[in-house]
Amino acid sequence: MSISLRRARAIFVKDYKEFSRNYAISISLIVPILFAFLFRSAGPSLPGAIGFLFNISLVLLTCLVQACLIAEEKERNTLRTLMMTPATTLDVLIGKSALVFVLSALALAIASYVMGYEPASLWAVVAAVVLSIILYIAVGTICGLFSKTLLEASLSVIPAAMVFTAPPVAPLLFGDYPILKVLDYTPSIQLVQLLELPPGFMTGDILKPLLIISAWTVVFSIISVVLYQRRLKDE
Amino acid sequence: MQFQPIYENGELFLPKFELHMSFNQSIGMITDLRRKQLLLNQLADHNQYYVLRAGQNEYMRLTVEELIAFLIRVTERNERVASLMDYFDLREVRKNKIKDLTSSKRMYVTLLRVFFAHQPALVLEEPYFYLEEQDRRQFKRILDDLSKEKQILILTSNLEDAMISCDAIYRLNELGLHPLDIRDSDEDKQEVQKQDEANITLKKISTKRKDKIILFSPPEIDFIESLNGSILVHVGGENYDCALTLTELEQRLLNSGFFRCHRSYIVNLQKVREIITWTKNSYSLRLNTGKEIVVPLSRSKLQELKALLHI
Repeated sequence: MSISLRRARAIFVKDYKEFSRNYAISISLIVPILFAFLFRSAGPSLPGAIGFLFNISLVLLTCLVQACLIAEEKERNTLRTLMMTPATTLDVLIGKSALVFVLSALALAIASYVMGYEPASLWAVVAAVVLSIILYIAVGTICGLFSKTLLEASLSVIPAAMVFTAPPVAPLLFGDYPILKVLDYTPSIQLVQLLELPPGFMTGDILKPLLIISAWTVVFSIISVVLYQRRLKDE
Repeated sequence: MQFQPIYENGELFLPKFELHMSFNQSIGMITDLRRKQLLLNQLADHNQYYVLRAGQNEYMRLTVEELIAFLIRVTERNERVASLMDYFDLREVRKNKIKDLTSSKRMYVTLLRVFFAHQPALVLEEPYFYLEEQDRRQFKRILDDLSKEKQILILTSNLEDAMISCDAIYRLNELGLHPLDIRDSDEDKQEVQKQDEANITLKKISTKRKDKIILFSPPEIDFIESLNGSILVHVGGENYDCALTLTELEQRLLNSGFFRCHRSYIVNLQKVREIITWTKNSYSLRLNTGKEIVVPLSRSKLQELKALLHI
């Protein structure tokens, strides 16, 4: 399958214009920044705030916007006509994902600046966030593909939000059961661990979370691309 | 292109047929909603057919100019936006968002997607349905230009829509694909009118129903029967009273392909599908009017009928 940057860019520009004029969706851009101001006023005494901020923003911004972009095209049947143009599956997905990626990265950067967050290892955190954004874009794509309308898409994000933001708070809610140790392998907990790395860390402390997150990302990206092709063939 | 037969509830719903498309000749096909959907489902090959369905929508928040620019870039064509805007005659609305256009203009802009198709065949479902007169003319012009390089098939349930831009028109029903020869039949009609203007009023059969007088042309009539002294004219499953006697009607309809098949029946031979032999001395005629209609045939009339039909 060929990838043409020219076509992907055309889709990027088109989606950017649509996104910026659709206030119902573009308002989700301020979610991370809003949370950042909220937590900053609570002070640095709040533990786990930065982890919660990143996880909730990844769902409410990255996942939701991607799901809505795909579902809106499905609702208007424009995705079907896009398939009849020379643009390939990857062109369309890359064009859309690039937009969501840029938006998420920008919003998260501003949010962490507002929070005054300083990571122990900047590069490890950047790598983990980049991988996480791609993971949540894939999850958003899957949500969008399973919904027929914009309304369904915004609702379908809720289960995804529960699955992906709940693990860090699960021990607080249900107590410390051994079975909850499985949750340590979820990407959200791994991201939290990286974000709250103590200053005197070892290389192994960085490597393990990064590997686990990238495994999730690769699996979900493949699932979303395969699902995209299959769902659109059925239409 | 070839279409596969489709059965529904054990009956043939869409017969197998083949359609030969060529350049410079756009084809219109008149059929119902269900058959349109079934046909479009068979045209799923994205390398062969560009299918534009009736439910197609557009990116509402882009302006017309942005949309055309997007379509040019995503299809990797080399045209310039400005020259295309002139060609499409969209200069005046180029800064308007698609959602702010009138519904006819919005449909017209949506239809322009076929212009950017790279497939050799374009299939459009009901393209003219939502268009106003001026947009219809514009779109017809674009389709005419496109037909020089592409094969165009228009699916519609409306004959008038098909006549706007199609060179050949077919009607598709459960019996198959039938070409409609529109131009010729128009000319024929005019000639007929000139020839026997006086006879035309004579050929109409006047009937009565609830104080209304209804006139039927002979080809519309399925058969006529005499029942309890009154004459009933059967048309499309309904019956209407007629004041004339069967003998008078027989005389009048003799030249229109009607036949007195029984003491109390006159049948339109154009509609007879089958001669049923019950026993050696008992016969019936089955009509192909959609509903199951059987008309008795006298033994004495059988020979006459056979002679008439050269059997």
